[in-house]
Amino acid sequence: MAKEKMITNDPEILRMAKKHKRPGPGQYILGFFLLIYTLFCFLPFLLVVISAFSDESSILNKGFSYFPDAWSTTAMTSVFKYGKQLIRSYGVTIFITVLGTFTGLMLQSMYAYALTRPDFQLKKLLNIWIIIPMLFQGGMLSAYLIFTGWYHLKDNLFLLIVPPSVGTMNIIIMRTYIANSIPNELNEAAKIDGAGDYRTFFQITLPLMKPSLAAVGFMMATGFWNEWQSALIYIDSPKKKPLQLLLVNIQKNIEMLMNSKDIPPEVMAIMGNKLPGNTITMATVLVVVGPILAVSPSFQKYFIKGLTVGSVKG
Amino acid sequence: MKGFLKNTWRNRAHVVLALPAFLVLLLFAYMPMFGLIIAFKQFDYTKGIIGSPWNFPNNFKLLIVNKDKFLTITKNTVMYYFIFTIVGTFLNIVLAIAIDQFAFKNAGRVMQTIMIIPVFISYAAVSFVVYAFFSKSPAGIINGTILPAFGVGVKNFYQKGSYWPWILTVVNVWHGVGYGSVLYMSVLAGIDQELYEAAKIDGANKWQQIWNITIPMLIPMITVMLLLSVGNIMRSDTGLFYTVTRNIANLHAKTQTIDAFVLNQLLNNPNYGLTGATTFFQSVVGLFMMLLSNGIVRKLAPQNSLF
Repeated sequence: MAKEKMITNDPEILRMAKKHKRPGPGQYILGFFLLIYTLFCFLPFLLVVISAFSDESSILNKGFSYFPDAWSTTAMTSVFKYGKQLIRSYGVTIFITVLGTFTGLMLQSMYAYALTRPDFQLKKLLNIWIIIPMLFQGGMLSAYLIFTGWYHLKDNLFLLIVPPSVGTMNIIIMRTYIANSIPNELNEAAKIDGAGDYRTFFQITLPLMKPSLAAVGFMMATGFWNEWQSALIYIDSPKKKPLQLLLVNIQKNIEMLMNSKDIPPEVMAIMGNKLPGNTITMATVLVVVGPILAVSPSFQKYFIKGLTVGSVKG
Repeated sequence: MKGFLKNTWRNRAHVVLALPAFLVLLLFAYMPMFGLIIAFKQFDYTKGIIGSPWNFPNNFKLLIVNKDKFLTITKNTVMYYFIFTIVGTFLNIVLAIAIDQFAFKNAGRVMQTIMIIPVFISYAAVSFVVYAFFSKSPAGIINGTILPAFGVGVKNFYQKGSYWPWILTVVNVWHGVGYGSVLYMSVLAGIDQELYEAAKIDGANKWQQIWNITIPMLIPMITVMLLLSVGNIMRSDTGLFYTVTRNIANLHAKTQTIDAFVLNQLLNNPNYGLTGATTFFQSVVGLFMMLLSNGIVRKLAPQNSLF
């Protein structure tokens, strides 16, 4: 809605403007439905938090509930205290996310820059080169056979970092941004001042690309953080397992997560010599999604920007 | 040609800048395309893709031999594509218009922020949230709280496939609609307010304004988004169809899509012939649909076509 400025003192018009502003009953009905949908989006998260802090016996007797019979911090503390694997996996995921996003931003922005150079005849071919993978994919099976059989990259984190770091849509978003928002005169001026081609890109264009880097970067980071499928296919050794893979095979991992012999006998006794499976699972889910939940509201604007920029062809 | 080489040499720095991403695509996108030739081979892991003997059309005969499986996964893939696209698009638009019409802007913004959050959560995590709602023992929210309130007995959701088209649709809506509506909101923000003012003067009420101004303004974007999505008709999110369904065999008839089937094969001693032929079919149909949809977009809205 356009911002209305006070440009008149005419009481009649002011009265009408005010009347126009006052929300009618329809607005409250609309608000009610929006609130319902918001709760629909939010309540599942609340259940994760409540379950993580419920007592295992409550879940076993009563089932999952927003109002557990008894509360307990056993699950959360055991995840943090004995979850060496969890900490390790956190490290792996952060490593993949940071390195993958950085690599992706560099590779894609360099490519996008080349695509926007005037008087660069090869760019037609380079454009086709990024379009084809969007139309036709080899699929999981043949990728698996080639990556493991030819490249011998089984159980190698390289596969979680490099292949997803170049995406057609990301390059198109950056290409659009450079073409529409960075005047080529700046590059020309830098060249006249004696800067070479590389320097022009790294010192003039790249810093000016920040908004598109933020948009693409945040989308990529979320993708890397949430990636589980490649990890499930390729990663075997526990020390290379990212967080999401831990979630995917959690039943097996609850035992691995808190290797029984690490747990002092008195704690085991309290837990009835049984690992509190349900609550620990939920505690692990909470620990995995917590950081994303915490930061996503403040980063949403970049995400939204990426979505809207991406819908426009350059 | 000489001019082209000269031009390329003059731009050698730009060639160097483009090279790393070029190579990543070559190694990790183009090579797997080449790898699809296993659909025409009697694949043997010890001999590799090149060394394995050709056996066309035996692998494709496997599609006919296993036609029940093949038809089921293809049918599921296409069915879920249509359900998700129709329901998702409809709700995206309804939500976008609702938030746009909502007069309490700050409250609207806060609610929208919450609605977008699910899209940031991986399906690996979502599968546990779904479990906490639909499990039987220990009872989930549905079996423990909601069904008893209506006097309905316990339902064994994780053993009965017929519930899952509903469950997966709800999960898909929960996960993506808040985010999906953002795109349409950006279109709504661009509508000239004077159109609404003029309609008001002519006596149009809110519904008439929405029906006669808002919806027609959204039509181009809706058309483009629908057409572009057709190219993905053969693809599906394994997060939803593999992890959220916990890959439970009893649910496969109603929930397994092509991608979920291939992933399942890959993790359990694949039948290379059948899986290879399936992925080949998937890729070729995908290519065809992509070309078709892009061709139509190019006719209708050239500025929105992908190429």
